[in-house]
Amino acid sequence: MKRLFQLISLVLAMFFFIGTAQAQIKIGILSDLSGGTADVGRPYAEGIKDCVKYINDQGGINGQKIEIMQIDYAYNVQQAISAYNRLKSWGMVALQGWGTADTEALVRQVARDEMPTYSASYSGHLTDPREAPYNFFIAADYSTQLRGALDFFYKAWDQDRAPRIAFVYPNHPYGLAPIPAGKEYALELGFEIVGEENVGLGDMDATTQLLRLSRQQPDYVWVGGTISSTAVILKDAQRLNMDATFVTNIWGSDEQLLSLAGPAVNGHIGLQTAVIYGADVPGMEIIKELTGGKPQMTHYIRGFASMYVMAEAIRIAIEQGELNGPGIRDASRTLRDFDPMGLTPPISFFPDDHRPNMSVKLYRLHQDGMELLTTETLERRAEWLGK
Amino acid sequence: MRGKCGLFFTSYAKESQILHTGFQKSSMALFFLVLLLAPFFLNSYQVSLLCMINIAVIGAVSLNLLTGSCGQISLGHGAFIGVGAYATGICTLSGWPFLPALLFGGATTALVGMIFGIPSLRLKGIYLAIATLAAQLILVYIFMRWTSLTGGATGMGLDPPMILGYSFDTDQKMFYLTLVFSILAVLMVKNILRTKSGRAFVAIRDFHLSAESVGINLFRYKLQAFGVSSFLAGIAGGLWAHYTMYITPEQFEIGLSIQYLAMIIIGGLGSVIGSVFGAVFLTLLPEVLGVLANIMSGFFPNISTYFLAMRDGIFGLILVLFLIFEPDGLARRWQLAKSYFKLHPFAH
Repeated sequence: MKRLFQLISLVLAMFFFIGTAQAQIKIGILSDLSGGTADVGRPYAEGIKDCVKYINDQGGINGQKIEIMQIDYAYNVQQAISAYNRLKSWGMVALQGWGTADTEALVRQVARDEMPTYSASYSGHLTDPREAPYNFFIAADYSTQLRGALDFFYKAWDQDRAPRIAFVYPNHPYGLAPIPAGKEYALELGFEIVGEENVGLGDMDATTQLLRLSRQQPDYVWVGGTISSTAVILKDAQRLNMDATFVTNIWGSDEQLLSLAGPAVNGHIGLQTAVIYGADVPGMEIIKELTGGKPQMTHYIRGFASMYVMAEAIRIAIEQGELNGPGIRDASRTLRDFDPMGLTPPISFFPDDHRPNMSVKLYRLHQDGMELLTTETLERRAEWLGK
Repeated sequence: MRGKCGLFFTSYAKESQILHTGFQKSSMALFFLVLLLAPFFLNSYQVSLLCMINIAVIGAVSLNLLTGSCGQISLGHGAFIGVGAYATGICTLSGWPFLPALLFGGATTALVGMIFGIPSLRLKGIYLAIATLAAQLILVYIFMRWTSLTGGATGMGLDPPMILGYSFDTDQKMFYLTLVFSILAVLMVKNILRTKSGRAFVAIRDFHLSAESVGINLFRYKLQAFGVSSFLAGIAGGLWAHYTMYITPEQFEIGLSIQYLAMIIIGGLGSVIGSVFGAVFLTLLPEVLGVLANIMSGFFPNISTYFLAMRDGIFGLILVLFLIFEPDGLARRWQLAKSYFKLHPFAH
């Protein structure tokens, strides 16, 4: 009898829960928790969820709580599409997406369904509203990040000859994305491009490619891969005694790289668009509290910031009385130098330009940690939009 | 047939009928009636799953014709689907109407499939598998690097299919469109298997030497199998491209080929109905596992994360269990279930 009572009260509690869930803001989270990018997808998704927790603890957005539904799509396009449809049927008003595979496959669908999407696929072409009217992200796109690094190196160059640069990247959409833009800007600045090599995301050895490169004696080498391929490249470069400075892109350098590659990372440069855990910014106090002081990867911080910026757009949309897809999109586009508590450089979106900012953070990598060198900010050139 | 003990055929035509009895015909009619009405009762998520099943059925049934019936293992099916997707997409982007574009996509894929099928004359079994694996890698490389045509790494944005001014821009509408094509594909393959070509395919699969000695032109029929199979793969690709409205090279990588192979293995090699079962099973499996993980996360927050990570393992386990305990796939289970009810309560 007691069990029956417990059961009935549980059912009643569930109904009560569903009943009170009506006035909530529903946000879908598409994550990779078990697929090829899960090592970085998990901390990113944790960041999003912790930000939701923080906002709800603060009383929600204008009194309305955020309700989330997270689906793991294992970095598989078919599953991403069905997950998106499931979230849509559930009634989400905005989507926190994840990687290149899902974001690009869904570009047209989110535009058709007027579903504002904040994702972590920083491909340049997603910043052009003519192509992707409902896609946003809170980091400078891959091309802008590469351009920012080139700018920094060129300014710091003090020898008579032109600096020599080489590009190493996987033959993969993500690796290919910033290469044309990078080459163009390198030539514009006055770099000499001395080499180009492919190292796959799963490769365990890069000696042949690096041997060819080291004969060209580059001063700088762009590494556009993910953690494991970057670790392989840096270790092999150390073995071959290359004295070039390697610069790794946003998904190729984080706290995991330091432990994977060890001393091989020393002196090289990693690009990021968010602060690292423990930085002295207002948002870090909140994150420290939420995580109980347990250090998180920089991807976590970007996930947190992505949700924080989206929440701000939703707040504006609610104030305009337009809590729907077009309302949140338009509200996002009114953001001007919005500061997500110092976690990333300020964010602005424009109706004809979804580039959040033109800033990239350069970190000096060391096996004991990352040290912020500078935040490089480029001009917002119109001809760079979407490229 | 009623009143007789079992089925008796008095002509070959009757024997090769798809549906023999009135009961089979009426249950098939009922099945299609339910399917046609389903979108009115399901939400857009469930309808979108049905769309994906329809497209997967076309892909699986075409691979089953090549691998299951003709015995030519193909690890390049995902890339062939990609060829159809890109070819159809390029045509519609340059202003072609959808249906001619889709047929052109199918024809292009058939041509590409036949070119990569040429080595099949000399190569068998695992060697052919490697040759088609090469096709997979080469084609994806072309998708990625032929930027002017395919959009390269950035991909290609497309519009929903438009037929005679009517746009199929919702999941509901897409469901009916893909259903028509998947029914046509299933009927096409079923009919091919009942013709001379179909019997030639099976003969080649069973033993190529005896096939040749009874007068079957191996090269011609193998190429034909590659051609027809790739044509249907191209149709599946064209539908997929216009259903998702955005295609990138990532969508057609080796994983897709493996998934289609898994479909026909789980469904039943050489069986048309098995391809359908396999497509349904493998499209729904990740969804079911995801829902299970969601339910479990309500009770054991920590277990569900491990469960998610185990999903690929569970998928592999199911495949292995099928290979061990039911090598003939779901189609055989279906036969057993049917005969159980037919013979009930007598065991024989």
